[in-house]
Amino acid sequence: MLRIHDASVTFPASDGHDVHALDHVSLDIAPDSIVVAVGASGCGKSTLLNAIAGFLPLTQGTITLDGKEIVAPGGDRGVVFQKDTLLPWANVLDNVALGLKYRGVRRSERHERSRRLLELVGLADFAEKPPYELSGGMRQRVGIARALATDPKILLMDEPFGALDSLTRETMQQLLASVWAKTGKQILFITHSIEEALTLGTTIVVMSPRPGRIVARFEADFVREVARSGDIGPIQSHPRFIELRQEIRSLIHQPEGARTGTLQ
Amino acid sequence: MTLAANSPTSFPPSTTQRRPSPPPRRSASTSTLGISLVTLAAMIALWFIAARFGWASPLFLPSPAEVLTQFSAVWADGYANGTLLDHTLASLGRIAAALGVGIFLGIPLGLLMGLNRWVKGIFSVPIDLYWGLPPLAYLPLLIIWLGIGETSKIVLLSLSTFAPICFAAQAGVRSVPAERINAALSLGASRLQLFTSIILPSALPEIMTGLKIAIGAGLSTLVAAELIAAQSGLGYMIMSAANFLATDVVFVGLIVIAILAFAFTSGMRWLERRLIPWKGKL
Repeated sequence: MLRIHDASVTFPASDGHDVHALDHVSLDIAPDSIVVAVGASGCGKSTLLNAIAGFLPLTQGTITLDGKEIVAPGGDRGVVFQKDTLLPWANVLDNVALGLKYRGVRRSERHERSRRLLELVGLADFAEKPPYELSGGMRQRVGIARALATDPKILLMDEPFGALDSLTRETMQQLLASVWAKTGKQILFITHSIEEALTLGTTIVVMSPRPGRIVARFEADFVREVARSGDIGPIQSHPRFIELRQEIRSLIHQPEGARTGTLQ
Repeated sequence: MTLAANSPTSFPPSTTQRRPSPPPRRSASTSTLGISLVTLAAMIALWFIAARFGWASPLFLPSPAEVLTQFSAVWADGYANGTLLDHTLASLGRIAAALGVGIFLGIPLGLLMGLNRWVKGIFSVPIDLYWGLPPLAYLPLLIIWLGIGETSKIVLLSLSTFAPICFAAQAGVRSVPAERINAALSLGASRLQLFTSIILPSALPEIMTGLKIAIGAGLSTLVAAELIAAQSGLGYMIMSAANFLATDVVFVGLIVIAILAFAFTSGMRWLERRLIPWKGKL
């Protein structure tokens, strides 16, 4: 269980008005759930992820993972970045195996485990390729496999499909739904796409900027259907999907003054 | 929810963003090779013609045949206290020593300067100060301090190869993308693992660039130093020949230096292709 309690992150600004990137945010992420944070730019969703990853210290509040407070980056939280961060000098297999190598896992064993993960993301035939010979979508699959390789407690995904074309993006959403169904990992997923949030989230938290806050929280289970059917088409025309999409859209586009407290 | 029926999902590699693989191989260099060879041949032909028709006095422009004759003479009998091979080896030995010093001091110190604020703060002052000076300006000082022998020349050359390598290693550390470091940390890398598996290889392209600059700086400083104060080496041979207006020997020296420079450049290109084929790819 990942527990975010009263977390705030404040950046000093040159004009003296501090930026409240994250303002008293509390959120629990239960095992076996995908929490998707959605919101406009500057709503603090990436700040939240960076704080959980340990890249960024909190100004106030605490984040605990299974009761242990997070103070630095660590192998118990796998991160998938928007821009892929694969090592160009290592082939795909060695990239996936990197975290296992850091743990001192034997070469044959880490390669075997990495091959299984490459199969899971559909890249079994690309193990020996250098990453720069792969497409953007394929590189993100390697990123997901790499983050899963160390068997982290939670997967943190920072707009991982944001830079992909819309067709590849849909394939990746199906892939993630299937990976989640197979591995049962808890996932925190950041996106600015409402459709993506509804497609993938078991919990969707809507965030608003200045200061960065959670303004609403919805439960959904379209992702189970996507995992089952392997198709994101049908759910997107579901009446409940359309209704939620409209509701979230109006929350995000609400003028800043009109927001009142949290709707939890 | 009533949704589409169960269907097994598989994820074939998407082709929508697939780049042509493997990427095109350095087509620019192969396509200009022919042009460059023709240009070289034309320049040599022009030299032949100019010498043959006496466009310039042989004193200023010896014919290719004379230079070739002189080449074998200097090779076999020597000139200015040594054969051509002796002079070449003397020069190569100096530059090899200087590159060795530059690499073994410059890379570690540059890496440390990139990693640590204190090391950078302390060492950047003396390095910036001397690197701005033309090496030949402080050669007399080095000769006063260290004598006219090999030491002063190797120190001079080492100073000129050290700075570009050190700067490059430092820039290499600073060029590591922050996300790559974060990715490694979130995979559980220790500080040492972060350095060896991420920072060092990421800095390698910059270090190679620094090495190329160091070789260029070293070579020009070498010959200049040998012109002024040496008893051996290609620069010394050229200077001795010039004193007797032996232009053909000067040409021999220049051609050998040109060949050496070309060999260094080609060697570095080869090394880059071997060590960092991924440079600029991701």
